[in-house]
Amino acid sequence: MKNMRWFAALVVIVMVLGTLMACSNNAANNTGNNTKGNNTTNAEQPTTNGKKVEVTFWGDWGGDGAIPFNVMVDAFNKSQDKIHVTYVIVEDMITKFLTASTSGGSPDIMFWDRWRTASYAPKGVLAPIDEFMKADGVPNTDFYEQALKELSSDGKLYGLPLTVDARALFYNKTILAEKGLNPPTTWDELADVAKQLTVWEGDKLVRSGFSLADVGLFNMTLQQAGGQMLNEDGTKPSFNSPEGLKVLEFWNKLMNVDKVYKLGFEAGLGEGTDAFVTGKVAMIYTGPWMLSNYMKYGKDLDFGVVAPPSGPTGGKGSVMGGFGLVIAEASKNKEAAWEFEKWWLANADNALLWAKTSNNIPGNLKAIADPFFQDNPLYKPFMETLEFAKIRPTFSGYFPMEEKAVTPNLQLFMEGKQDAATTLKKAEEQGANELKNAK
Amino acid sequence: MQGRLGRHQSNVAFLFITPTMLLFAVFTLIPIVLSLYFSFTNYDVLSRIEFIGLDNYKRMLDDHILWVTFRNVFIFSVIYVPFNLAIALSLALLLNRPRRGVGTFRTMYYVPTLTSGVAAATVWLWLLNPEYGLINQLLSYVGITGPAWLATTDTALISVTMVILWQTVGSNMIIYAAGLQGIPDYLYESARLDGAGAFACFRYITLPSLKPTTFFVSTMTIIGALQLFDQPYVLTQGGPANATRTVVYNIYQSGFNELQMGYASAQAFLLAAIILIFAFINMRLNKEGSMI
Repeated sequence: MKNMRWFAALVVIVMVLGTLMACSNNAANNTGNNTKGNNTTNAEQPTTNGKKVEVTFWGDWGGDGAIPFNVMVDAFNKSQDKIHVTYVIVEDMITKFLTASTSGGSPDIMFWDRWRTASYAPKGVLAPIDEFMKADGVPNTDFYEQALKELSSDGKLYGLPLTVDARALFYNKTILAEKGLNPPTTWDELADVAKQLTVWEGDKLVRSGFSLADVGLFNMTLQQAGGQMLNEDGTKPSFNSPEGLKVLEFWNKLMNVDKVYKLGFEAGLGEGTDAFVTGKVAMIYTGPWMLSNYMKYGKDLDFGVVAPPSGPTGGKGSVMGGFGLVIAEASKNKEAAWEFEKWWLANADNALLWAKTSNNIPGNLKAIADPFFQDNPLYKPFMETLEFAKIRPTFSGYFPMEEKAVTPNLQLFMEGKQDAATTLKKAEEQGANELKNAK
Repeated sequence: MQGRLGRHQSNVAFLFITPTMLLFAVFTLIPIVLSLYFSFTNYDVLSRIEFIGLDNYKRMLDDHILWVTFRNVFIFSVIYVPFNLAIALSLALLLNRPRRGVGTFRTMYYVPTLTSGVAAATVWLWLLNPEYGLINQLLSYVGITGPAWLATTDTALISVTMVILWQTVGSNMIIYAAGLQGIPDYLYESARLDGAGAFACFRYITLPSLKPTTFFVSTMTIIGALQLFDQPYVLTQGGPANATRTVVYNIYQSGFNELQMGYASAQAFLLAAIILIFAFINMRLNKEGSMI
């Protein structure tokens, strides 16, 4: 009987030690992986004794969003007999990737929100693809340069762009036609049209001429004014400038002088009651991802899209975003994963197939030349916008800065609790701190 | 003196608690110890884990946003905890009497607790819309222009607090109801024979008898309040202007989005220490109270 207690105690000790060792192993492997760097050349060959190489592809688009992924995976699997790809829907993908890259179970290839490259690539968890590109003669010039830049870190390329997007101005044709107005092309016209389209009944806003819900539009509006968010080397915020002030003055005019919007106006209005769909908002900055949603309403919602209006000195600006495919450094099948990525994104026909099934704008410039995009009046303005759209600065401190320093101060400004000069100054000071801490 | 049987029993007891202790060790104790260690490192989950001494703790002193989140959570707790307890107890008292339909009401008050937090928050987002929300529509009938509840810094935190009260009061009500059932009837009977009124019964019988329940409920509510995360995340994403950003949200952002797990661990330890202090104060208050 006494043995039993010892047995129990022993079990506990073994378990505890086992776990501790597992953890410390991880930490050790961690640093080990990092020093190995881009050891991609001796990855497994796709052909191993007639057995197919299994490639795991992670993505976090489920439901209807998973359909185009499965279309591409099936098409690839049928196109050859050496590699078999499986699409796995992973919720909370980034968190799972964090643990998977250090403790096994890493995917081979992954659907990747491009802006994360700046913080993840330096940690050595993504595999560079420069050598694959060179070996297979895939030219960089086939892709949006800005999108490739967003997938690069420290001179190395970590993936190819799957989609590109940028915000442009959506307008309700019916409402503009009622007033005999044309869609705006400059800030002045935007303010004028927005003012004319806004309808108040007493202190109740019935229709907003232009949505000012998202202060995140600061970056693109600043570009239109001719300014930049950060200095060249990403060490300091540079929006506390005459250009930044112009943006805030413009917003102040829209919000407080012309009163084209009211804070919280669109909050809680879900898909079916979306303010733009129901005509409660006449103009709104949004991206191509809303096209299929809005097109669903057919005749009930007659809308058009124009490139973002230009600023006081003629500056154009929009922020390019989108997704890419990246290969995990921990993958054992990097070459097979690359074959899949190349087939999908470097081949214009396949990139186009993806674009059409998913209603996305592809990152492949040859695919974009297709009439599907060039002759469609709803896609055309996005093509124009993407010509000048810039990615967000590729520094890991940029997002904390925007989230913790810029957005909160702009929200105080929009509420009228802080004047423009104070807003820019405080955002700059707090932003500089976030940039410093992100190192 | 311990007999043969006693020893046998204690051995079996060890065997039975071993699985629980193992799970506790693996999933609670070890992570806590490890994260205490991480809080002294620049751990980023992926590439490095170097000892950096007290740097993370020093950084917290200058972290303006961190103190904003602590302030938010304190304001929230000061309003939320007393109201939650008071409303939960009142509802429990109200529904303690065996009347017809009481079961229906009990269920109704408990339903918000069963609803998915995210789903409920989505509905509240709509209810609180300044122009089309039900609440401001109702206010407009009596000539009041309601505020933009969740969209302005003055009203966002209080709106979030109300939603969470609505959502969580039910579970405390059930616990209080169970506590009330446990109070023996003869206490009230004899008190009434001595001429005690309803208030005296409540003050000198119900409240003292509920002491253990109150202690449990208040402790759990305080912990829950300080660890606030999901409702503000869905309702306001911490905005506007960080007015509803919470400590746990900040920790999550630091750890998973900024890859600063070391710093996130340090913040988590500060929060844990503060929770401990409040739980301790709460314990003392409840103990002293029971002397009366």
